[in-house]
Amino acid sequence: MLIPSCLTVRNHYYHMVVRSLELELRRRLGDEQVASDPLDLYVFGKDAGLVRGEPGLVVFPRSTDEVATIMRLAGRHGVPVVPRGSGTGLAGGAVTTGPHVLLVTTNMNRIGRLDVENRCVWVQPGVINLDLSVHTTPFGLHYAPDPSSQSVCTIGGNVANNSGGPHCLAEGTTVNHVLAMEIVTPDGDIVVVGGPAPDPIGLDVRGLMVGSEGTLGIVTDVLVNLLPNPPASRTILLAFPEVEQAAATVSGIIANGLVPAALEMMDQPMTIAVERFANAGFPTEAAAVLIAEVTGHPSAVDAEAEVVRRLAASHQATVIRIASDEAERERIWLGRKSAFGAIAQMNPDYYLHDTVVPRTRLVEAIKQTYAISKRHGIPMLNVFHAGDGNLHPLMSFDASVPGVMERVEAAGKDLIELCVAIGGSLSGEHGIGLEKRDYMHLVFDEMDLDAQARVREALDPDGKLNPGKIVPQGSRCFDFGQPPPEGAWV
Amino acid sequence: MGWVTDHAPTEDELSSCIQCGLCLPSCPTFRLTGLETASPRGRLTAMSAVAAGRPVDRRFEEIMGACLQCRACEVVCPSFVPFGRAMEGARAEIAAQTSGVDRRLRRLVTARLLRSRIAVRLGTLAVSIAQLARLDRLAPRRIRRSLAGLRSLRGRPPSIVGRTRTAQGERRGVAAVLAGCVMDAWFGDVHTATVELLTAAGWEVVSPRGQTCCGALAAHDGWADDTRKMASTNMAAFRGVDLVVVNSAGCGAHMKEYDHWVDGGEELATRVVDVNEVVAEAIADGTLPRLSADGGTVAVQDPCHLRHVQRITEQPRAILAAAGLTVVEIDPEGRCCGAAGIYSVLEPEMSRRLGSSKADQVQATGAPLVASANPGCEIQLRTYLSELGHGVRVAHPVEIYWEALQRAERRAAVR
Repeated sequence: MLIPSCLTVRNHYYHMVVRSLELELRRRLGDEQVASDPLDLYVFGKDAGLVRGEPGLVVFPRSTDEVATIMRLAGRHGVPVVPRGSGTGLAGGAVTTGPHVLLVTTNMNRIGRLDVENRCVWVQPGVINLDLSVHTTPFGLHYAPDPSSQSVCTIGGNVANNSGGPHCLAEGTTVNHVLAMEIVTPDGDIVVVGGPAPDPIGLDVRGLMVGSEGTLGIVTDVLVNLLPNPPASRTILLAFPEVEQAAATVSGIIANGLVPAALEMMDQPMTIAVERFANAGFPTEAAAVLIAEVTGHPSAVDAEAEVVRRLAASHQATVIRIASDEAERERIWLGRKSAFGAIAQMNPDYYLHDTVVPRTRLVEAIKQTYAISKRHGIPMLNVFHAGDGNLHPLMSFDASVPGVMERVEAAGKDLIELCVAIGGSLSGEHGIGLEKRDYMHLVFDEMDLDAQARVREALDPDGKLNPGKIVPQGSRCFDFGQPPPEGAWV
Repeated sequence: MGWVTDHAPTEDELSSCIQCGLCLPSCPTFRLTGLETASPRGRLTAMSAVAAGRPVDRRFEEIMGACLQCRACEVVCPSFVPFGRAMEGARAEIAAQTSGVDRRLRRLVTARLLRSRIAVRLGTLAVSIAQLARLDRLAPRRIRRSLAGLRSLRGRPPSIVGRTRTAQGERRGVAAVLAGCVMDAWFGDVHTATVELLTAAGWEVVSPRGQTCCGALAAHDGWADDTRKMASTNMAAFRGVDLVVVNSAGCGAHMKEYDHWVDGGEELATRVVDVNEVVAEAIADGTLPRLSADGGTVAVQDPCHLRHVQRITEQPRAILAAAGLTVVEIDPEGRCCGAAGIYSVLEPEMSRRLGSSKADQVQATGAPLVASANPGCEIQLRTYLSELGHGVRVAHPVEIYWEALQRAERRAAVR
């Protein structure tokens, strides 16, 4: 091309802007806190999901002030900033949509002084979820949200995605455990929202920040609420010859007034993959395996475990095993929490889906999932937080086979449409990110999306933070049509 | 651009990683730096970038070079990614595609000198003179540290190569002991304990001439052709024996994986055992005695290539308990001590951080003795423990057990 197009000129100019920002950041932060080698940019171009997008620059701040400096400098250069923790997100929330600045929080990993009496502690966003609970164990406390990736994922990422986990059935998701936070705004100002009181006065900005996926501000310190460790717990492994019986047991447990700490289900293909890694003694011949955990006073847990046992027996459970010691309990949870990694034993790629259906329609959703799997020829393994109807169908495939990605996308779309159609929602806990942004219109109408876009515009009018995420482009001036179905959880 | 050798990480090895990230917290370098590029997943992604056509450049070399090859990531990987093999492949590519004085020097040491008994002897002589005359302070700083962690070379036992010992009691078969490069020259007491315990357990012990260095250091540094030669030499030397007993965790781990390098490696792997395995088995079946507790305590350090690669953790503890000692743990996660072969010389800063935090952990146990079944870890522990100024002794588990047996015998003789 002899005459460069406008686009080429713009890209070239943008590249120069990013380089000039890089020089400035290197000067202010030091060389070891900035990476820009093409190989580094490639390595940081992905999280645990499927979407890839290379940043223009990676920075590793160590303090709130450095985050503010980065925001101000990037803002002055007009380069957006995208925050990232350990990179275990599954929806592309920490993947840049252009050569933006990727702000990695893993070196902001200080745990503050533990306030044992008020059961709370300030932690920086790069603290690993499990490290926090390990830190508080000597005081008999723990941080409740426990995503499967808890040994890796950061508190900052949990806040951004309002992460849940097996134990959020009884204890709630991240939003229920964050009391206050320090935020660096898109303009580089440092503000604190919320406070030690459970109900902050004025508008609940703290609540708004949780789950905003780094689009409204960068969280640099979080005051988290800690829960006392339960005095006793019983973990019960159940196996059923039919998925329906497992689902009926789940409904029965809830209907009986129990709120188990966790209620998890895996189907047969998933159980087989998991057992190979974890050797937890999962019955691989069963159609469905259920893990129920009850916690509380020693006498209460035995009574509750008995209710679970009786209900499972009435639904023809073939295996009813109560973990005899802590080691057995840990094995069972290791198995459950390594589920999504174990799938690579089958095929090189996976797509872990995350949708929600009303608990009462679980069986229908599972059957339809199998039908979708068959229709598109993509094997699906199922693992889910049965207690709150959060489905995690895992598609297993080889992306290098021509045409497979199209089928995976089509199957994913069918899954979402299915869940929305039976009154469910787009995402249980993984967030919207890039992956589900364009499905938002399935549950939100024009006005809803416009309202969300306005909130975002109010806090970040220039689109300085994580652009292109959550809210579909054009939400403020484009009609997506399609109202949500009757009874949808919106 | 891309790969050039047939040792390169394969398509299957790279695609077996689905980037879930569960390996990150197990990785010592990720823990210290917080960088994706210093994590197992990041390293595999960088390898994939090269497989897709990126060049093997300076940055790739840095990213791969920062890996300790401790393989803690393999234990936690639900997808069974063969990370160690892929990393050996990446290192082989770097060795094949880069040049320079430091590279030639590294090859000279890991792949040539360690193979030559004369060179190792000359080196040993130089080191022992340096020890006697306290010349170590003249050495470059990165080497000086390691010198400080060496055992005293005075009065060390002679080489075991070429010697034969008949079995005591009921004969189980022929066990060949890998003499090794530095084990034979610098850790003679560990060999003595190994040979004595094996004969007492009913093994006829040999250490055939014609064997050479196992080749682990050369493999970890990417010298594929030399690694293959060393593997072939040892395969021939150990033909016909029932067991090949190895008392250095890194060597044993490498020999159990000779199939990465030569045909027939799988067969040898079925005969290679760590000395901890044989001795623990003999204690379990009553051939070797269990001593009653003498009130002493010992801290146990798990060498990565024993714990993560060979998956041996119970046996050294059983042996130390049989020596009458109370075993205390120093680190439930078994994080690398930072020795990692020649890593301590190549990446001194990272190695120092890991080494001193390991020494702190040992100190916190209050034990006067630490057991470590690998020469590199032993040197590293002694180096950083001595910097803390404590007289904590570091020794091999079988050495500790053998000394305890001798003490018990002497006591019985006096009575």
